[in-house]
Amino acid sequence: MRLPDSVTGSFLVVLGAAAAYGGWLLPPVPGQPVGPNVFPLVIGSGLALCGLAIVFGIGHSFEEEEELVPVEEGQAKAAPPPGRFYGLRALLPPALLLFYVIAAERLGFIITAALIVYATSTALGARWKLALPLAALAPIGIHLIFGKLLRVPLPAGLLPMPW
Amino acid sequence: MLNTLIEAFRLISTWEVIVAMLAASVYGLVIGSLPGLSATMATALLVPVTFYLSPIAAIATIVAASSMAIFSGDIPGALLRIPGTPASAAYADEAYAMTLKGEAELALGAGVWFSAVGGIAGTVSLMALAPPLAEIALSFSTFEYFWLAFLGLMCATLVARSSPVKAIAGMFIGLLVSCIGIENPGGVPRFTFGLTDLFGGIEPIPALVGVFAVAQVMRAMLTPEPPPIPRRKFGSIMAGQWALTKKYHWQMTRGNIIGIIIGVLPGAGADMAAWVSYAMSKRFSKEPKKFGTGHVEGLVEAGASNNASIASGWVPSLLFGIPGDTIAAIAIGVLYMKGLNPGPTLFTEKASSMYAIYLMFIIANILMIPLGIAMIRLAAYVLRAPRSTVMPVIMLCCAVGSFAIGNNMFGVVTVATFGIIGYVMEANGYPVAAMVLGIVMGTMVEQAFVTSLIKSDGSILPFFERPVAAILAAMAIGALLWPVLVWIWRKMKPVAVARAASSS
Repeated sequence: MRLPDSVTGSFLVVLGAAAAYGGWLLPPVPGQPVGPNVFPLVIGSGLALCGLAIVFGIGHSFEEEEELVPVEEGQAKAAPPPGRFYGLRALLPPALLLFYVIAAERLGFIITAALIVYATSTALGARWKLALPLAALAPIGIHLIFGKLLRVPLPAGLLPMPW
Repeated sequence: MLNTLIEAFRLISTWEVIVAMLAASVYGLVIGSLPGLSATMATALLVPVTFYLSPIAAIATIVAASSMAIFSGDIPGALLRIPGTPASAAYADEAYAMTLKGEAELALGAGVWFSAVGGIAGTVSLMALAPPLAEIALSFSTFEYFWLAFLGLMCATLVARSSPVKAIAGMFIGLLVSCIGIENPGGVPRFTFGLTDLFGGIEPIPALVGVFAVAQVMRAMLTPEPPPIPRRKFGSIMAGQWALTKKYHWQMTRGNIIGIIIGVLPGAGADMAAWVSYAMSKRFSKEPKKFGTGHVEGLVEAGASNNASIASGWVPSLLFGIPGDTIAAIAIGVLYMKGLNPGPTLFTEKASSMYAIYLMFIIANILMIPLGIAMIRLAAYVLRAPRSTVMPVIMLCCAVGSFAIGNNMFGVVTVATFGIIGYVMEANGYPVAAMVLGIVMGTMVEQAFVTSLIKSDGSILPFFERPVAAILAAMAIGALLWPVLVWIWRKMKPVAVARAASSS
């Protein structure tokens, strides 16, 4: 996911400009010189300026110097992973969370959670001998702590817990 | 004073507080010792639980878990050369070198002992600094608060170990996030895109959980699993610590002081304190050659430093609502949730709660010694838990925890979104801590800014008229210009060197 600075910088310019424009469009409060529009205007302009500076590589010299600082061992020197779509694996956790939002009401907490645990565990290299019991036990444990002890209204769905 | 102290004792001597503190300590020790799970993440995941506790018990869990996690990050650092938390990264090599020399007990014992001493020193600084500062802060107007917040945001960008421009951009992104919702000077829906879920704004806590926990699970998907810890028998862990304290008392004190100062600075936390103190120790050591070969001196100073910063990070948080570090940013969210809104009046109106916080910090740091020793002995078993069993549980905690904060599925969407944002920012060198600070402080900055502008009738001059405001303004603008000056100086230096070379 390492993008060139010109890409992230340009994105910030667009985001900042959009925020400033959006703020500018907000209605002012009658009889008051400053309203809800001022702050986004300032922030948006600042962000756009930063974006421009990043596109032109200002401040980059600071970053290069920082590379010399010894970074965490093992994290920095990971071997380049194989496969073109390997990087997309990183999107699995947020995707599973969105799956929880969609499915939890219908399937219930236990089933949805078991699916999430199984998927995450397998993606991190667990065999089914480990992932299956984990998927069975972890949701029940979490349900005990949050649902029973802390009274969070977790959706029952297809498989309600007996407590 | 004495009455307040007795009242504070009464507040913390309930079963709820005691059980919460012990449970949070164990939790903090375990999470902190697992590589890749940071102290901030441990604290962020605790917040949904604190939601259901009494205010004092809620703060107790945060205090205990964060202190313990910062220490226990040293354990895998010493045994595996993989720091458990970023705060231990500065001296993980040194501690590992000691383990190779057969001095694992000494290295880990120094971790426990000097962490506890540092934590208590930090607490003392919190007790000594906060009340007098509160006196001064009572006379602050919105102008001072604006500059203070501005200074806090600038500090966060200065200390970030990356490009200052990117840090400022990160801070602006955070401020922009805080713009969302109807809680603004006009009370109009702003940047809500017609979504009613966005009317209430983005809650800081789900955003923090996303940035620190989900983003970490995302990174784990792409990094190889750390090796399991070798089983080993430990000798006495505390033996020799008293001798070290006597030998290196000056280093320890210096570490404490540096940690306290860095903790008080907004945005700079335990990791920064450890890096600075380790470097300082090496710089002023009588035997700098020994550093890197398994020399305990740097460990003493940096270990004393990173735990000291945890407590002193609460000073600006309690006084102004400006977080001293990312853990304090979470603590501020909890304080607001529990009706202990940060501000100088906390120290007069809720004095007993403040004393309770001091006491809890001291107790947590004393508890750290026995629990820490137990954790070191058990580390070989805990650290055997493969990532593929820990991460799924963390995913569930993210989902349920973010739902529990508002009993609202939108919290889960927020967590997922900020997971992606945090991951992308980190991967491209934008410090997420700056964004977090922006999110937490955004509403306050805007309020101070807009109220000041209304008071001054749109003129800039009153921002500099009051003496304290003028000083704070000068510091803030100095902090803003500092990277520019450094940059110019660096450009000039090669020119000057070249000129000197040509003239000679």
